[in-house]
Amino acid sequence: MWLTSKIKQVLLVLKPGVVTLKYPFEPHPVPKNFRGQPVWDHHKCIGCGGCAAHCPARTILVRDLCQDLRVMMYDGSRCTYCGRCADVCPESAITMSEQYELATNDKNDITLSMELFMLTCQRCGRCYNREKTNMIDKMGLKGFRYDNLELRAVIQKATEHFDEKMLEESDRHQRPRKIGE
Amino acid sequence: MLTIEEVKNKLSNRFKSAIIHFDHPLRSRLFVDIDKARVREISNEIVRMGGRYLVSIGYDNIARDKTLGLIHTFSLDRDDLFVCLRSAVPAEDPVLDSITPDIPNAGWSEREYMDLLGMKFTGHPKPKRLILSDDWPEGIYPLRKEVPWNLMPPPAENVAYQLDECPEGCTVVPVGPFHPTLHEPAHFAVFVDGETIKGCDYRGFMVHRGIEKLCQTQVTYNEIPFIAERICGICGSVHATSYSQSVELASGLKISRRAEFIRTIMLEIERVHSHLLWLGVAGHLIGFDTVFMQAWRVRESIMWFSEKLTGNRKTYGMIVVGGVRRDITPELKDELAGVLKTIEKELMTIKNAIIGDTAIHRRTKGVGCITNEEARLWSLVGPVARARGIDIDVRRDHPYAAYDEVQFDVPVLDSCDVWATVVVRILETFESIKIIRQALDKMPDGPIMTEFAEDIQPLRHAISAVEAPRGEVVHYLITGEENRPERWRVRAPTYPNLQGVPLMLLNDQFADLPIIIGSIDPCFSCTDRVVKVDVGSGKAIRLTGRELEQISRAKLNAGR
Ligand code: SF4
Ligand code: SF4
Repeated sequence: MWLTSKIKQVLLVLKPGVVTLKYPFEPHPVPKNFRGQPVWDHHKCIGCGGCAAHCPARTILVRDLCQDLRVMMYDGSRCTYCGRCADVCPESAITMSEQYELATNDKNDITLSMELFMLTCQRCGRCYNREKTNMIDKMGLKGFRYDNLELRAVIQKATEHFDEKMLEESDRHQRPRKIGE
Repeated sequence: MLTIEEVKNKLSNRFKSAIIHFDHPLRSRLFVDIDKARVREISNEIVRMGGRYLVSIGYDNIARDKTLGLIHTFSLDRDDLFVCLRSAVPAEDPVLDSITPDIPNAGWSEREYMDLLGMKFTGHPKPKRLILSDDWPEGIYPLRKEVPWNLMPPPAENVAYQLDECPEGCTVVPVGPFHPTLHEPAHFAVFVDGETIKGCDYRGFMVHRGIEKLCQTQVTYNEIPFIAERICGICGSVHATSYSQSVELASGLKISRRAEFIRTIMLEIERVHSHLLWLGVAGHLIGFDTVFMQAWRVRESIMWFSEKLTGNRKTYGMIVVGGVRRDITPELKDELAGVLKTIEKELMTIKNAIIGDTAIHRRTKGVGCITNEEARLWSLVGPVARARGIDIDVRRDHPYAAYDEVQFDVPVLDSCDVWATVVVRILETFESIKIIRQALDKMPDGPIMTEFAEDIQPLRHAISAVEAPRGEVVHYLITGEENRPERWRVRAPTYPNLQGVPLMLLNDQFADLPIIIGSIDPCFSCTDRVVKVDVGSGKAIRLTGRELEQISRAKLNAGR
């Protein structure tokens, strides 16, 4: 019994032979629909902030510098490549690319930021489809937002009108400190 | 067979005024509000009715009525019924009778709430710290609502976990926190007499990051599936499904049948690759690397298929509240059928090649024995329980997703050792392939997502269990305001199984320790409920490879 099973094992190993891929010496293509690094198309983005509100890793930041200028920043260091942002984007401005070789020493290599000029809506200050009532749409942070880009921190607050004080406050934002420090 | 009415009658006749209220939103879920003074008796009564202890859920209700809540949950497997005993204790004096003396598996749950909520349990046999790190200050209970989610107490020096007393004549052999055979951080202090193991103490939860707290305070219902999925690197869909089901149950949302079938297929794909992974690891642990290499080679084909279907090899991101994200197209369906065929054939070859190998028999037969009664007492789950003659499987006992429409066998063995867990897992893989085939055949057309018509009402309770490759996963949800859970409790299968490990190790050889611990397919991080949250200390210091090497060398030299 012992011998037959050993013979079987030898055959088991011999038949498939070497299966190890040559990667990274040869490129390894990914399948269609692969979820790699998300990339933004600034031509399409309307700056609604939906992607930021639904990112489970909270790694997309939105900062309104004034009434008309919105900065959006994607910090890839914490991205989980879930593709949620691409799903919720109403303008299909986000594509999950085929890029997966993202290891780097410098965070900035995988950071992307866009400055968007925003028109002012006479009714709500920022243009959104406020009529939608399903759960996903309701939960976003609406209006003006003030994330701190330097610390890459999400500030969980939004206002209906642009508020300079909030912007300043966000600049002073600090990471939690240890008690007693 | 007990019906929900019979259980209710039995309880109210016996305990009368101690039963405050019954609530049964579904015919398979019974929530009972009970008097805290009789927790132990009522729990025992449920066990006598055939209840199997699952987990306890503690929660902070101080803002509402100045109490802390504790829920003991049980599964009546033969009757497709979950019974949840809800009790409340005043927050100033949160003392409750421990149920651990009768139901040893409740030990960890109770210790967890001593740590996280500051509850006290009279009669607990081992009231030691479990979850919090040793230098966490006394008197701060992180799961209470008043404690902010990002609180960072300063580290303290010179504190260490007090290991259990070493039995006389024995020597302590530390295994872990980092050890080649553990893969994840956990510390076992093993007490040995010569080569024979006489006991052990476990200190784990080293990667506890408070994912439950995070999800209760920071994100919303729709993002949690993605976080839940990252609780486990292997059986992610299981957690996402279980969580999503609990939200759907709490809100009364009925998802489309096609989505349920796709969920079933995803869960079984996971089982196939998880069991193949385990087979490889088990081979590796006993030094049989042929099995390791070949099992992982076979596994690769299903990983590549998953990549095509979901966009990634793992952490599929397929399951969301209300359905699934991607559809299985006819081409993918054909491809999956082909992949299953190869896996079935190749696994059969592996099975035939190893089943008669005396080396494997010697390393696994009669190793890690615990009896059926002990396994029952300790509420073990999954293949570990099924290898000890306990015939439980959530897929059959409490059908969810599309499991009511597929036929499959639940392999149960009674040799009670590691060998039986090997066989159970191999057989289960074949059953999974059978299930996927049926599901592909029977899958109806239809939408894959169902939207919510209205908001989810706060303070609804729901419990959902899913059979993961390692055993059953239980998620308990209390809905909250602001579109996020008030309380979300995850119990991974390793949570009960790990508590049974000291018993499995008893009187075995020290050399068998890796395979015995490995036989439960431990997933320490799931048990600890890890998620990496970057709450860095302000500045992140990045070391280059060389700097790290220099520091390590300096430490090494200093230690010499
Ligand atoms: S892929 Fe997921 S984690 Fe990454 S930015 Fe998009 S939503 Fe956030
Ligand atoms: S969801 Fe789309 S349109 Fe809206 S901000 Fe993000 S990328 Fe721009």
